[in-house]
Amino acid sequence: MTKRILAAAAALALAFVFCLQAVPAMAEHTKDASYIYDYWGSANKSLSAFELSTSITYEAMPDDITLSSVDDVNVYNGIIYIVDSTESRVNVFDSDYNFLDSIKIIRDSDGKIVVSEETNKQMILSKPEGVYVTEDYVYIADTGNSRVLVLERKAYGEEAEEAEVAAEAAEALEAAEAVEEATIMLVEEDGEAVEEATAVVEETIAEEVEEEEVDHLSYALVREITRPETMVGDTEFTPSKITVDNSGRIFVLVQNTTEGIIELNSDGSFSRYFGVNSPSVNLLDYFWKSIASEEQQEKMSKTYAAAFSNLQADSDGFVYAVTTDTSSEDMVFRFNSNGENVLRTFGYTEQFGDLPSMDDSSTTSTFTDIAVNDYGVYALLDTVNNRVFVYNFDGNLISIFGGEGNTKGTFNTPTSIAWMGNNLIVGDSSLATAFIFTTTEFGDLILDAEKHYFEGDFTEAAELNMQVVQMNANYDHAYVMIGKNLLMQDEYESAMYYFKLGNDKTYYSTAFTSYRNEIVQKYFALLMIVIVAFIVWVLWGEVKFNKKQRELEEL
Amino acid sequence: MKKFAEDFKYLGHVIFHPFDGFYEARFRGKGNLLLVALIFLASGIMNIVSYQYTGYIMNDNAMFNMNSVTTFIFGLFPYLLFALSNWSMTAIFEGSGKFLDICLVLAYSLFPKLVIDIIVVIFSNIVTEEETMILTAVQMIGLIWFCFLVFSGLCVIHEYGAGRNLAMIIATFVAAVVIIFLATLYVTLVEKVVGFVSDLVTELAKR
Repeated sequence: MTKRILAAAAALALAFVFCLQAVPAMAEHTKDASYIYDYWGSANKSLSAFELSTSITYEAMPDDITLSSVDDVNVYNGIIYIVDSTESRVNVFDSDYNFLDSIKIIRDSDGKIVVSEETNKQMILSKPEGVYVTEDYVYIADTGNSRVLVLERKAYGEEAEEAEVAAEAAEALEAAEAVEEATIMLVEEDGEAVEEATAVVEETIAEEVEEEEVDHLSYALVREITRPETMVGDTEFTPSKITVDNSGRIFVLVQNTTEGIIELNSDGSFSRYFGVNSPSVNLLDYFWKSIASEEQQEKMSKTYAAAFSNLQADSDGFVYAVTTDTSSEDMVFRFNSNGENVLRTFGYTEQFGDLPSMDDSSTTSTFTDIAVNDYGVYALLDTVNNRVFVYNFDGNLISIFGGEGNTKGTFNTPTSIAWMGNNLIVGDSSLATAFIFTTTEFGDLILDAEKHYFEGDFTEAAELNMQVVQMNANYDHAYVMIGKNLLMQDEYESAMYYFKLGNDKTYYSTAFTSYRNEIVQKYFALLMIVIVAFIVWVLWGEVKFNKKQRELEEL
Repeated sequence: MKKFAEDFKYLGHVIFHPFDGFYEARFRGKGNLLLVALIFLASGIMNIVSYQYTGYIMNDNAMFNMNSVTTFIFGLFPYLLFALSNWSMTAIFEGSGKFLDICLVLAYSLFPKLVIDIIVVIFSNIVTEEETMILTAVQMIGLIWFCFLVFSGLCVIHEYGAGRNLAMIIATFVAAVVIIFLATLYVTLVEKVVGFVSDLVTELAKR
C-alpha cells in the first residue's frame, strides 16, 4: 500500500516537473497575458512584449536627497534624466540605474553658483516639469520660474573617458603647435623669444587643464531663455514640456494653452506657434449655436482648440504630440515643419488606445505622454486605464501593457514614458517611481521585426515575423508583414494567403491583381477560344433569325 | 406544372412591364403563390450565400460569427414586416390589396434583385478593390429596380395614385416601428410573467 502511494507521489511529482518544463520561458517576470485588438475590434489574448524588470525609487537616491515625484523622464545615450517637480530637482542615473547626479542649483562654467543680477538671488530650479537632452545640451523646462534653462551636457563612463582622451590629444596637439610656433619664433628672433615661447607653451597647457576641470564640474549654464520679447499671443510663458529637433529648434509646450506649441530658435528667440490642434465640432452644438441669438451665444461655452499634454521630436525632425483633451479631433499628432498632422494611421482602427465595446463602458483613451524611438515605434501613455499602447510607424498596434493598480507592473498616476534602447521607462508621480520595462523574448522579436521593416529589410522582417506568429497566432499584423515580403518576391498566391490571415484587404487586392493577371496569361488561349465561340454563336443566331424573318416576309 | 412554367415565364414580363404585369398577376390570375414562396425561400438562401461566398475583397462579414439560421431569418424578416404593416395600413385606408397580394408584389419585385445578387457574388470573387465600384453600382441598380417594382406593384394592387401610395408607404414604415415596439413590449412582459411563474414554482418546490 505504502509502495503504491509512494509510486503515485513520485509519478505526480514527475508530472509536475514536466508541467513546469512545458511552460516556455517567454517572460521572466510576467506570467499574465496581454491583449491586442484585431481587425474586428475585439480584444484577443496576446503575449506580453514588455515586463517590469526593476524600478528606480527613493532607495536609489543618496541619503541627503529624496525622490518625491517623477514628472518627466528623458534618456540620452543610456543616461536617464528624471525630473522631480516636488523636490525641484533633475536627477541623473546611469544605465544600471545607479544615481549619478542631481541638478538643482545652477552653476556657471567656472563652477560658481549663478546669481541673478536683478533679484540678487541664486539660480535654483523651481518646480521643473520637463527635461530634454541632446548631444550638447540639457534643456530644462523650469516651470516655476517661467524659463527654460540650457545647460551643458555632462558625459559619463566610457563617453567621458573618450572625451578625456580626445581632450588630452587636443592638448598635446596644441602644445606641439605651440612648441612649433615657439621654434619658428626662435628661428626668427633668437634670444628672448625662447623664454616667451616656453611661457606660451606652459600657459596653453595650464589653460587646457583648467578647462578640463571645469568640464567635469558639469551642467554649466549655457543660456537662460525667458519669455522672448518678440513673442505674440496671450499664452503665458510657463514651459512645461520641452523638446528639441535635430536642427536645434526648441519646442516648448505650455499646459492649457489654445495657441499651440511655442517654437523657439536655437538662440531662444521666438519663431512661431506650431501645430494648432483643431477641435472636433459636434453637429448638435453647431445646430443650437446657429439658431441662438447673440446673447445666448455669449453664454454658451466656447469651443477651444485642445491643448497638448506632451511632445517629442523624432530623429527625422517631426514633432510627435499627444493630448488628454477628449474634445480634440485627433489624439496623437506627428507634425511636419508646416505644423500639419502627418501621422500614418494604417492600423486596423484609426482610434488610438482602447476601443469602446458593448460590455465595457470604458471611455476613450487620452494620452499624457509619448515616446518615439529611432525606427518610428511609439509608445502612448494612457491616463484613463493607465495603460501603455505601443504602435509601429504605420500606426499598427503592436503591444499593450500596464494598467491601474498597486501591484507590480501597474501604475497609479503615470506621467511620463521614454525609450531606453528597447526598454521603456514609465514614470509615476504619486508612487515617485520610474518603472523599467524590458522586452520579453516576444517583445524582442516584434521590435526587431519592426526595425528591419522600417529600414526596408522586408526579408529579415518576414523571417522574424514567422517566429512571432509561431509564438502568438493572434498577432495579426505580423501576417501582413510576411505577406508584404512575399508580394515583393512576386509570390502572389501565398502573399494573398497571409494578407487574408492579417485581414489587409488593400494589399490582398494588390496581390490578387497580379495573381489574376498570371492566371489570365496562363489560360489566355482557352479564354480567347471561349470568347470567340461566344461571339460566333451570337452572330450565327442573328443570321439565322434574319434568314427566318426574310423567309417569313417572302411568304 | 405547366401552369407554373407559364407563370414563371410571365414573371419575366412583370419585371419589365410592372404596371401591366402586376395587374394581370393580381386580377387575371397570372400570379402564382408557389412561385412567391419559392422566391422568398431563394432570397433567404441567397442571404446566406452572399454572406459566405462574396469574394474576400468585398466581404466584410465575420466568418467566425456566421449563423445561417439567423442570416436566413433576418434576411426575410424586413419583407414580412413590410407586408404585414403595409397590409394593416392599407386595410384601413381603402387599399384593395390583400395580404397575399402584397407578398406577391414583394416576391416578384425581389426576383431581379435576386438575379443581380447572384451575379454580384460570382463576380466579386474575380474583382480587385478598384473594380468593386462597378459591382456596387450593379447592386444599386438591383436595389433601385426592386424599389420601383414594389412602388408600382403596390399602386396597382391597392388601386392607389402615386401620391397616395407614397404616403401609405411612409405610413407603412411608421407602422413597422410601432409593430416592433409592441412586439418588444409583449416579449418583455411575457418574459416577466414567465419569470415570475418559474420563480414561484422554484420557491414552492424548494420549501
